[in-house]
Formats: sequence, structure tokens, C-alpha cells
Amino acid sequence: MKVCVACGMPMEKKTDFPGGDEQKDYCVYCARPDGTMRSFEEAKTGMTKFIMESQGFDEAAAEKIAVNSMKRLPAWKDQFSHE
Amino acid sequence: MKSKREIQKESTRQKIIDTAYRIYAMEGFSSSTARIAKEAGVSHGTVFAHFQSLNDLLECIIGEFQISLAAEFHDMAESSASISDFLDAHLKILIDHEDFYLRLITERSLLPEEVQYMYADNQSAIAHHFNLLMSREMKNGTVKEVPVHMLFNTWFGMIHYYLWNKDFFSPDEPVLARYAEELKHTFLSLIAK
Repeated sequence: MKVCVACGMPMEKKTDFPGGDEQKDYCVYCARPDGTMRSFEEAKTGMTKFIMESQGFDEAAAEKIAVNSMKRLPAWKDQFSHE
Repeated sequence: MKSKREIQKESTRQKIIDTAYRIYAMEGFSSSTARIAKEAGVSHGTVFAHFQSLNDLLECIIGEFQISLAAEFHDMAESSASISDFLDAHLKILIDHEDFYLRLITERSLLPEEVQYMYADNQSAIAHHFNLLMSREMKNGTVKEVPVHMLFNTWFGMIHYYLWNKDFFSPDEPVLARYAEELKHTFLSLIAK
């Protein structure tokens, strides 16, 4: 089973892939409307916003969770390589 | 094919994981690796031959628990799953891991930061599925239009309250199995439009 390189979501069904394209390594949530993968900043903002909306967390705390989660994902390896 | 040595290695690693899970569930996350090694019947050094550090071991144990949770939930957000199905699945996992889960939520702030983020990640994954379901049902007009995070926090609030006060609610038997139905039905009737 594939796991999204940008957010870690398991991708099992066609609908988990952007435009149903099972060749893609990122999921439907990590794709821009044109089908390309969103940038680090876009992903960070998106994940932070999602954590705030779905769990009601404080913004700074939510961002920390998002960034730490991204650290473990292959798509953002280069962003953290200086650490 | 795996060699005998590889099979042996995997089985030792699994034994350490299973033992650590059991000890952490019984005695909390401050239990020493020496204690886990002794209980697993391996040398203390063997634990660190399989896990680079205590953090590694903790991340693995909590990671395993979360993988089982995530697997259970992933299919649930599909249109066929009802909120009741989702809450049942959530309760089932927590019932299966009650002691461990109680330790996790009680001692979470004392765990190494990296490990805490694993917990947070997992909550986000559950929130994602919860969010999809609730948004769908709000659209269908079956659930009250309350901010989704408050629905999520209310559900967890109920469960954690019962867990934290387990000695009052159910001193002699697991608390969640005993109250699962009541918790689910109450929550469902509270959110129904």
C-alpha cells in the first residue's frame, strides 16, 4: 500500500489519489487544483489550519505539530537536511 | 527467504516490543529498559541492539499502537460508514488497549517531545476521518451545525473523563467496555439534529 510522501496518509483507494491517478506519490489532499504537489509552505499552512479547525488547537502549537509531522515525511527531507 | 538468523532477530525484536507494551501498560512509561529486558528474558544490551535509544523503543511501541488505530479508521470515512460505526471502531480499539491508552493520555506530557508528536499526529489522523464524517452528516442535515473541533473534543472529553476516573466508574473491571454503549448513545443523541 502506498503512503502519501507529503502527509503520510495511507492511499488505498482510487479516490485517495489526485484525479484518481494511482501513479502519484502524494494524496488528493496534498495536490493543488491543477494536480501538482503543493509546496512546503502551502503544506505547512494547510496542515496547521486543518489541525486548528479539526481539533481547536492554538495556532503556534498546531504549527509545531504540523512541522514535526513533516519532518518524518520523504517529500520534505531536503527542508530539514540542515538540522 | 529469510535466514534462520533473521527470523530469530525479528522474533527477539517482537518479544521486546510485546513486553515493553505490557510493562508500560501495567506500570507506566517510566519503567526502565532493564526491567523490560529482564521480563522479556533478554540481556539489557540486546534491547539496545534492536533499538538505538529509549526514544526509539517508545516511538516504536506508540507507533505500533497508532498503526493499528489508523488501519481501523482508514476505511471508515467512506460514504457507507455511519458515525455510529466510527464511534464503535474507535471504542473497540481503546477497549482492546485500555490500560496502555490510559497510560498514554495520563503521562503524555512527560514523554520525550518526539514521542509526543507521534501522539499528536495520530490525533490528527483520527480528527481527519471524524471531520469527513461529521461534515458529510452536517450537509445531510442529520448532525447539528456545531464547529467540528468541539464535537471531536466533546467525544474525547467523555472518553478520557471515564478513563481518568476509572476507579470511581468501574473499579473492578475495564471501564470502557462497561460504558461504551452509554457513551456512544449519549454522544449520538447530543449531536443529532
